[in-house]
Amino acid sequence: MKRTLNRLTIGFIGLLLCAPMLIWSQAQDEKELAPVTRTYAITNVNIVQAPGKKIDMGTVVIKNGIITGVGKGIPIPPEAVVIKADSMYVYAGFIDGLSRAGVPRPKEESSRGDRTNMDPGNPTPEAAGVTPNVDVRTLLKPDDKSVEELRNLGFTVAQVVPYGNLLPGQAAVISLGGGTADQMVIVKNSAFYSELSTARGVYPSTTMGVMAKWRDLYRNASLTKSYEAMYASNRSGLERPVADPILEAFYPVIDQKQTVLFKAEKVLDVHRVYTLKNDLGFPLMLADVKEGWPVISKIKAANTKVFLSLDLPEEKKEEKKDDKKDDKKAEKPKTAADIEKEALEKRKAESIALYVGQASDFQKGGVAFGFSSLSAKAKEIQASIRRMIAAGLSEDAALAALTTTPASFLGLSDRMGTVENGKAANLVISDKSYFDEKAKVRYVFVDGVYYKMDVREAKKSDGKVDIAGSWAYTAETPNGSNTGTMVIKGSAGNFSGTITSSMGNSTADLKSISLDGDNLTVTYDVTMGSNSFPIEFTVVVAGDSFEGSMTAGRFGSFPVTGTKNPKN
Amino acid sequence: MTETMKKILTILILFCTGYIGFAQVEKGSVLIKNGTVLTVTKGTLENTDVLIKDGKISQIGKNISAPSGVSTIDATGRFVMPGIIDAHSHLGIDGINEGTNAITPEVWTGDALNPFQVGIYRALAGGVTASHAMHGSANSIGGQCETIKHRYGTYDPEVLKMEGAPRTIKFALGENPTGGGRRKNLQPQSRMGVEFVIRKAFSEGKEYMDKWDAYNKAKNTKGFRGAPPAYSLRLETMADILKGNIIIHCHAYRADEINMLLQVCKEFGVKKLVFQHTNEGFKVAPELAAFGAGASVFADWWAYKLEVYFSTPYNAAILVRNGVVTTINSDSGDFIRHLYHQAAKTQKYGGLNDDEALSLITINSAKQLGIDSRVGSIEVGKDGDIAIFKNHPLSIYGVPMTTIVDGVVRFDREKDPADKRLMADPRETIDVTVFVSDSGHENCMQGTEDMSDFLFGIKN
Repeated sequence: MKRTLNRLTIGFIGLLLCAPMLIWSQAQDEKELAPVTRTYAITNVNIVQAPGKKIDMGTVVIKNGIITGVGKGIPIPPEAVVIKADSMYVYAGFIDGLSRAGVPRPKEESSRGDRTNMDPGNPTPEAAGVTPNVDVRTLLKPDDKSVEELRNLGFTVAQVVPYGNLLPGQAAVISLGGGTADQMVIVKNSAFYSELSTARGVYPSTTMGVMAKWRDLYRNASLTKSYEAMYASNRSGLERPVADPILEAFYPVIDQKQTVLFKAEKVLDVHRVYTLKNDLGFPLMLADVKEGWPVISKIKAANTKVFLSLDLPEEKKEEKKDDKKDDKKAEKPKTAADIEKEALEKRKAESIALYVGQASDFQKGGVAFGFSSLSAKAKEIQASIRRMIAAGLSEDAALAALTTTPASFLGLSDRMGTVENGKAANLVISDKSYFDEKAKVRYVFVDGVYYKMDVREAKKSDGKVDIAGSWAYTAETPNGSNTGTMVIKGSAGNFSGTITSSMGNSTADLKSISLDGDNLTVTYDVTMGSNSFPIEFTVVVAGDSFEGSMTAGRFGSFPVTGTKNPKN
Repeated sequence: MTETMKKILTILILFCTGYIGFAQVEKGSVLIKNGTVLTVTKGTLENTDVLIKDGKISQIGKNISAPSGVSTIDATGRFVMPGIIDAHSHLGIDGINEGTNAITPEVWTGDALNPFQVGIYRALAGGVTASHAMHGSANSIGGQCETIKHRYGTYDPEVLKMEGAPRTIKFALGENPTGGGRRKNLQPQSRMGVEFVIRKAFSEGKEYMDKWDAYNKAKNTKGFRGAPPAYSLRLETMADILKGNIIIHCHAYRADEINMLLQVCKEFGVKKLVFQHTNEGFKVAPELAAFGAGASVFADWWAYKLEVYFSTPYNAAILVRNGVVTTINSDSGDFIRHLYHQAAKTQKYGGLNDDEALSLITINSAKQLGIDSRVGSIEVGKDGDIAIFKNHPLSIYGVPMTTIVDGVVRFDREKDPADKRLMADPRETIDVTVFVSDSGHENCMQGTEDMSDFLFGIKN
């Protein structure tokens, strides 16, 4: 016993010396040396093996990408890197039911094709968004920022789909790690992805057009498929069938061998998708459902696999009231407009509560569900899950929706979803219970590869961060670099400013500027034609430079850097 | 507890008990006591009761007592008429025109129903219990339409559909389809072009139908081997029109193009035809009557584009006197709330009697939509779709008080909450109507307070 202990102690000290180097090497280029060992031991950790199944202060050992030991008093292999996760929590890596992590947004022109001289009633399949034969595997970029963003939240696996309209293409289940696209793929052609959205301006341009197109393609595919089968069985006397890659993509669905993964945010989308399903009879999986509470019984009766959206409507912020203004208000009697406004505000708050309570309603309704991040902002996801829990979702049900249920829906239960021997080493380690308000993800393992999170505590502003001045920034968007100047005036609590962009020629006023330690968040609106959409800069300021991301509504999130222009 | 809270609670309770399930249409029972019953088809019955049981009119007469558990509405001094039916509306659908192609008969508004549109409730407040949710007039052959019942309160679009109503389809002639063609530099760009597009579609539909008929016949012979014809939902729909399974509702204003479509339909053997708008219908009323085509018109609305200048408010009366099945429609979320006023205008312009005027918004609409065996009049066995008015519906003082669909009270003026939305947008920007203060101030100089010095040389 003593000898073992000694040996372990020596190994442990050695490893402690090595560990920082290993971590450092992770952060470097792919050209770096392979890790010295692929064995890790996470010690003194609260192991949440599965929803409702917990081991206090145990050890998890992983080796070559597989979990090889879970429990108390597990021997630590001598070659293991030991992660002292004292009082931290380890869970199975989370699984996202529908996402575009690792799939860069295509440039507008290339995604829609050339529309010059195109008959809008008879567009090319690309222009119409009818590309069910596109395989998302051909579009994967392992180093896309979205992979890291999702992984930093504890997600290790995601079902991803191409961008597009009604029939964007084939989904794949991927690992949120790995150096090449091929290394990422866990399940190819995991689903046949569809949305009720249109390319606008060309056929089909309406919901009813999409429904008609779906029926037309499906029935055509059924006919060509049976004719091809007849031809294959005996070719004599029959005309050669002409292969159509679009119709061929339907064949596995018609054979009930592939599921149609339908994005259905709104309650009416869900109904419409069921209308198609009932007409045509394909197997169905619903995803990114945001308004599912009126259709729980329908989903339950059909026994459909469903992923609820992690995107929630913003909670109403308490307005900071000026005391003086308050006094004035108290004197004035309420006008009819005030009363109407109050009633509408109240209704809006009740409506928000319904969205936040959706997951809890599904739990109460006895319908198993996973989550999907497709339309959610990465930095809001953890808070959104907590809001769902505050609205009545149990922590176990939340964990099931992140791990065991999606594993089962995607046919991965034998490989992942729980912290058990033999499962893939997909783990998330947070400093507190993941659902705790202050919890931060510290480590993530994807297929046994170790990622350490850069946990940055927001420092109290010590006056050293000076954001006032003129900043030149560059954002890398799919349409090229976007550069401009951001001018911030004033001091803490009283900032104001403007911003210019090379992608528009106007100057916008900054709507909000908030500085928390060295974290700077700036928002403004960009107007394009008659549309206006919000932009958010989230950057970390270090002296005369900043680095972070720029989020442009539905267009996604892009890396941004900036430097301060010297004062004249 | 507030009204909204109660509503939400009720909704939650309904979910928990699994009440809202598959396209389950709610049917109700109610006894309407002692009203003046305007049956439309069987005259006016004073001091008469109407009993609706499980969604159907089960008894009309005097001194009917309410079966146990059936509530009673006292209609003493009130007028009880069949629920109004709007033969031309775009209410309750998401998206109206699939206008990208000259013909899109394969699309169907029934696929895009939206039961949350509060306009449905507003229509109920005008006594309207059913409407024809039509495709638009952007293309020569637009989409198929859906006849909906105003079952406002359902979350399920399927429940809006009037079960068993025949299929209908929108056609359009004149400036709308030709304007679209010109903008896109595609057919049709002229009235000749519209005729050609429709003839071509019918011809291709006929060819398609023949090919499939031949294939289906051959397929059943022993040892058959061969390829099926290419499938097309578009041409299949054209074939369905030719087979008489779909009623055409054609947007048309001018007499010449009305005659054109009558001729084309005759040639292709199509018999089920209703013209919409039909502002020059009065010029071709005998021809319409001879064909058996219906006409759906506005009471007195025209001159909003060139082809709608030659019009008269006597149009409806002339059509009726010529034996054309005629209706007055709304084509508008506003007009749908006072179709009874629109119908009443035919009494001033053309002197139609009460039953004739009411027919324009009830039984005739039902005939044009092929649902007259179910709705459009107060008769035993028909659906319990009723509008109860304070004062006669054709009077300028007529006010719809209660509207009943399938025996279920869907609108009650006495219980009309401020917020009747079924879903509230959680991201909406709340924008409140600005009320002008009614405290007696003069407002004509509002906003000039700071200018008083300049204007009058006085200080405020």
